[in-house]
Amino acid sequence: MTNASSVLQEVALQGGRELPLRVLSVLGGATRRALEGIGELARFTVRTAESVRDIRTWGPSATLQMRRLGVGSLPIGVFIALFTGIVLSLLASYSFTGAVPLYFVGTLVEKTITLELAPVLTGLALAGRVGANIAAELGTMRVTEQIDALETLGYDPHAYLVVPRVLAGIVMFPVVVGAAMVMGVASGWVASIGLLDISSAEFVKGMRLFFSAFDVRYGLVKASSFGFMVTLIGSVRGLRAGGGAEGVGRAATDAVVYSAVMILVLDAFWAIIWLLGSQR
Amino acid sequence: MKRTNDYFVGVVVLLVILTLTGATLWVKQTDIGERRSKVVARFRDVGNARVGNAVVIRGVRAGTIEAIELARGGWVHVRMTLDRSMQLPGTPVVLLNESSLFGEWQATITQRSALPHDETVQAQIAESSGGDDVLPGATLPDIAKLTAVAGQIAGDVANVAGRVEVAFDERAARELRSSIRNFADLSTTLSHTVSAHAGDLDTLSRGLQSAVSSLNRTALSAAQIAARVDSSSTTGEIRQIVDDMAHAAAELRRGSAQIRLMSEQLSRTQGRLDSFLTNGDSVLVKLNSGQGSLGLLLNDPSLYRNSDSLLTQLRGLVTEVRTNPKKFVSVRIF
Repeated sequence: MTNASSVLQEVALQGGRELPLRVLSVLGGATRRALEGIGELARFTVRTAESVRDIRTWGPSATLQMRRLGVGSLPIGVFIALFTGIVLSLLASYSFTGAVPLYFVGTLVEKTITLELAPVLTGLALAGRVGANIAAELGTMRVTEQIDALETLGYDPHAYLVVPRVLAGIVMFPVVVGAAMVMGVASGWVASIGLLDISSAEFVKGMRLFFSAFDVRYGLVKASSFGFMVTLIGSVRGLRAGGGAEGVGRAATDAVVYSAVMILVLDAFWAIIWLLGSQR
Repeated sequence: MKRTNDYFVGVVVLLVILTLTGATLWVKQTDIGERRSKVVARFRDVGNARVGNAVVIRGVRAGTIEAIELARGGWVHVRMTLDRSMQLPGTPVVLLNESSLFGEWQATITQRSALPHDETVQAQIAESSGGDDVLPGATLPDIAKLTAVAGQIAGDVANVAGRVEVAFDERAARELRSSIRNFADLSTTLSHTVSAHAGDLDTLSRGLQSAVSSLNRTALSAAQIAARVDSSSTTGEIRQIVDDMAHAAAELRRGSAQIRLMSEQLSRTQGRLDSFLTNGDSVLVKLNSGQGSLGLLLNDPSLYRNSDSLLTQLRGLVTEVRTNPKKFVSVRIF
């Protein structure tokens, strides 16, 4: 917004014959910067992929990152799914009054939790926790020149810092999301029995009615892609941090924002590519 | 520290994978260890049946549809898994039908004799019969088709209603209203009539009751008379009565002979009188028709007028003779 208003002021000051050229030049500059960002992310991704081969560098710290990013995130993922399942069953019951049999609460809870809510809500929560954590950690290392020291010592910062985090994200996000799926459906089930006039058999009938293993597969693959994107963006923003503590804070904020945006973009991407494709 | 991390991560990953896999298998009702029997049925079309839909025997869920696949000869094979304990009915057939209004389908395994009396279903079953180890199947129309037919019927009804509306105009309504009013008047009159005649009916009923009572009394009297007759026959009084009755009968017989004789004479007199009257009637008819001299005299006015004229002339002649006798009488002596 600030950039847009400054551009307009700049354009207004120019006036005269130079105005059209100036507008074109501003538009071109913005496009170039956007493409530069994409290009930088692509280069970063390629370099990370190349660094995967250096297993001796990233291997020892991989499980540590998995524990910190994955196991450490289990409580928050399960907690979110617990309340999501309860609210979802109540919302479904509220929406189905009269017209639709209540055993469809089971169908809705299972489908919604598995396909959408568990991956996306957990992904957004982990974008804040994991993305900000990575960006802040790597940013601090950057501004305190620890990364320069690693390079001086002959370590590849990508293999040492980025690969274990990205791999941890790819592997552990589905684990957290899987646990969230189980917890979300279970809490919706318990809530339906306890708070609604639905028997356990009815909920199970509805849950089994349209259940497909594809639902779980789809949710886990989506979660894995979210893990990849969140850790990658956190690493990029962290390694590019500069300007002391303020730069580290900005990097953490950017990592969370971009990760959240990319999670929603990827969600739509998978829906169009895979979900829509599976129906045809 | 590194081993601890490995341990934690491994345990968590393993737990989540096991939990997720177990939950998926349970929800999907996967047949682990082949503990279920399999049944295949063939159809020409499976409608909206999907893998995972319920298989029902006599209304009880007995398994699920495991696979739906195209087969040779234009058939669709539906493979179903059933619980081991489930017994198939004799001569089993499979019907695919909607189980609710929300797009759920199910496969119902039933006996051939329990099929609905529908020509299409019977034809499908007959066509799909004969496959080796494959049950014959038929697909019932879904709610959309039924709704389409219902919509068509509704359209026809609307059409008929429109025509009725055209035919049933204001005049018809007035006439109907008038008919209803007349009917109301008629029913009122009928009600009054019934009320008025209710008393008569009561009276009649009372009279009938009285008559029945009289009949009862008469029967009682007859019984008493019969008893008396029975007792009289033993004292000789009946013999006297019978003799008196024989005497009276002889008297009656004589009287009746005289009456018969008199009636014969009277009959002959009546015949003569009839003949006389017939002759008189014939004469009168002839007189009226102007036949005979008397008839002509009675019926010809000219005779009357001539006679009258003759009398007038005769009266004038007599008068003139009296007045002038010499004119008509001439006495000459030589």
